[in-house]
Amino acid sequence: MSTPEGVTIVKTGEKGHFGGEILTVNFGPHHPSTHGVLRLIVDLDGEMIRGIKPVIGYLHTGIEKQMEALRWQQGVVVTDRHDYLSPPINNLAYALAVERLMGVEVPPRADALRVIMSELTRLSSHLVWMGTSGLELGAMSMLMYCFRERDTILDMNEEISGFRMHTSYIRPGGVFADATPRFLEMLDKFIGEMPGHIDEYEDLLTMNPIWRARTIGIGRLSPEDAKVLGATGPMLRGSGVAWDLRKTMPYSGYENYDFEVATSNDCDCYGRYLVRIREMREAVKILRQALDRLPDGPVNVDDRKMLPPPREELETSMEAVIHHFKLFTEGYSVPAGDVYVAVESGRGENGCYIVSDGTHKPRRVKFRAASFANLQALERMALNHMVADMIAIIGTADTVLGDVDR
Amino acid sequence: MISDQLIIDRGVSAGDEWITVPAESVHEALAALRSDGYRLLTFLTCVDHLADHSREWPFRFEIVYQLRNLETREQLRVRTFIDGDPPRIDSVHDLFPPANWDERETYDLFGVVFNDHPDLSRILMPDDWVGHPLRRDYPVGGETVEFSEEHERWQTAPDEA
Amino acid sequence: MGLEELAESLGQNVLTTTLGKVVGWGRGNSVWPAQFGLACCAIEMIATATAGVDIARFGSEAMRASPRQSDLLIVSGRVSQKMAPVLRTVFDQMPEPKWVISMGACASTGGVFNNYALLQGVDKIVPVDVYIPGCPPRPEDLLNALMILQERIKAQGIQPRQ
Ligand code: SF4
Repeated sequence: MSTPEGVTIVKTGEKGHFGGEILTVNFGPHHPSTHGVLRLIVDLDGEMIRGIKPVIGYLHTGIEKQMEALRWQQGVVVTDRHDYLSPPINNLAYALAVERLMGVEVPPRADALRVIMSELTRLSSHLVWMGTSGLELGAMSMLMYCFRERDTILDMNEEISGFRMHTSYIRPGGVFADATPRFLEMLDKFIGEMPGHIDEYEDLLTMNPIWRARTIGIGRLSPEDAKVLGATGPMLRGSGVAWDLRKTMPYSGYENYDFEVATSNDCDCYGRYLVRIREMREAVKILRQALDRLPDGPVNVDDRKMLPPPREELETSMEAVIHHFKLFTEGYSVPAGDVYVAVESGRGENGCYIVSDGTHKPRRVKFRAASFANLQALERMALNHMVADMIAIIGTADTVLGDVDR
Repeated sequence: MISDQLIIDRGVSAGDEWITVPAESVHEALAALRSDGYRLLTFLTCVDHLADHSREWPFRFEIVYQLRNLETREQLRVRTFIDGDPPRIDSVHDLFPPANWDERETYDLFGVVFNDHPDLSRILMPDDWVGHPLRRDYPVGGETVEFSEEHERWQTAPDEA
Repeated sequence: MGLEELAESLGQNVLTTTLGKVVGWGRGNSVWPAQFGLACCAIEMIATATAGVDIARFGSEAMRASPRQSDLLIVSGRVSQKMAPVLRTVFDQMPEPKWVISMGACASTGGVFNNYALLQGVDKIVPVDVYIPGCPPRPEDLLNALMILQERIKAQGIQPRQ
């Protein structure tokens, strides 16, 4: 179906089910409820959706090309920005991939800090999702509540990394810096308060008649379809498939934490909402364990070829100065080969496929974006629904357009 | 079962298993793997080996399929090498539905043509865009930054190419 | 009624000013942004509208979904080559007088993405009044930009753009 740019409504002349004609309508790319700059070309029979075709690329940033032009350690900054609701998880996928190629293992404290940051991010990403979806489906106040806690998380990000959103905290070889005592204090307080806040959200939404009416039975995706279409994350678990990379293919020591994979057999928008709520509770559980068992020790690998020497050494050791200079002018090179590492983000499988040709810049970096695959399931979910339901379906699919278009 | 005749080469890279299959029989090989239980195509992409001296490459473009078996949790990477102008390969969207968009993306960014694809059009770049940006000989673009040493070298294509 | 009686009957309830100042005051305190989110910066823009930062204190909480009802375009995020014509269309649809805030490094200069896909600065296609640095800028930065813009609108009076 090719629709000329700018045309908003096309009459196809076909007869619809209700006696009217089938119209082709253009939604977006600037539409308040498409979660960013998604454009949809929809065939409508009255209010019914008979065909839907997403047009993406309105946020194509050239991130993969940019990575090829940057040195290995510079690339971290760019990884932050593709799935912009979960920067540390993107960093983690990239860092793990580079580490696997170089054959280094990070110390246990770094692993624990990575888990803490990942879970905080998962929480904040779900909070943004819940706030904006609530807003779209008529629960305006959700936005205020959710962003309140999100701001607490961002304050913590700022405390540990100096930046609110794009932290670049997790880097190949470890993390940016050790957690400050104030960060641990804030985290402790946050873990104490968060379950109460989640109850509050549930009070507002779980039994809310409008929310239920707009999500239950809408956007059904059977477990088979979800698997075949490559959906991951809450989309897959909302269809009752207990697949979570943190459990099935653990990384960063997730196998040592006690948590459950949240699933729901509802297979609809409401099920996806329930999965996210449960996942938030599990995330708080993981945070508690990680904080209580936070090991001591260094947070970076002791490898001067990969990470710069500490500041003190620069004043006394010539070797340190040379390493420092080499790292910041030329960078390090990664052995030739390729590797694929996948981590679980708030949206699903966030993978990073890296090809190295042995030089100090990557040959190819491909991000396997969860939203890209999930968005393909949109057609399956939205057919034969009303136009207004499409908003709920796009909303609960939780696509981040930066992730789709990269 | 995938027959051994289809596998040209196999190995492990940084812990990931991979096999190489001939480009003509990629559809056959993937169909066999799919019936072996690798039901999920995690992603599909292309790597441009223009002026890559890390080893001998049969052809310039490498198409990579990352497969996963959801039951046994095994992963397998299937590679195949192609060349030509434009490079052509069979589409696998009928075996793995997610391949549909991945193939469009690969076509858009690398100019690889997938035979029998239902709607092979640009997906990320505007329809009237010229060139395939992720090829190594396509310039990174952007603007010159004053006082930056790095920008002169912001060509992904090496000089000898 | 003579002039003196009129003044007496109104008492202290009269201000005299110029029309330009009144118009500027009114416009400046009711800047309605178009709801136009692009990328990461848009999330911080949403955060600006929430309770913690509360852009409503400046009269700008009414984010309009239609550009025809808004007078401020906040370009919040990176503008790709594919999006550029759309952005320009949105801008053209806004009624005069209108203003543009370029939020974030990407909108202002292309940010960390100096490549083929992004428009290297939104000022290539729309006139920008205030640039905000940062990647993403904090919500407070956006408020600051709004205040700068308000000052400007108030000073411009009845004819905002010459
Ligand atoms: S300036 Fe930074 S935060 Fe804003 S859109 Fe660009 S990358 Fe995202």
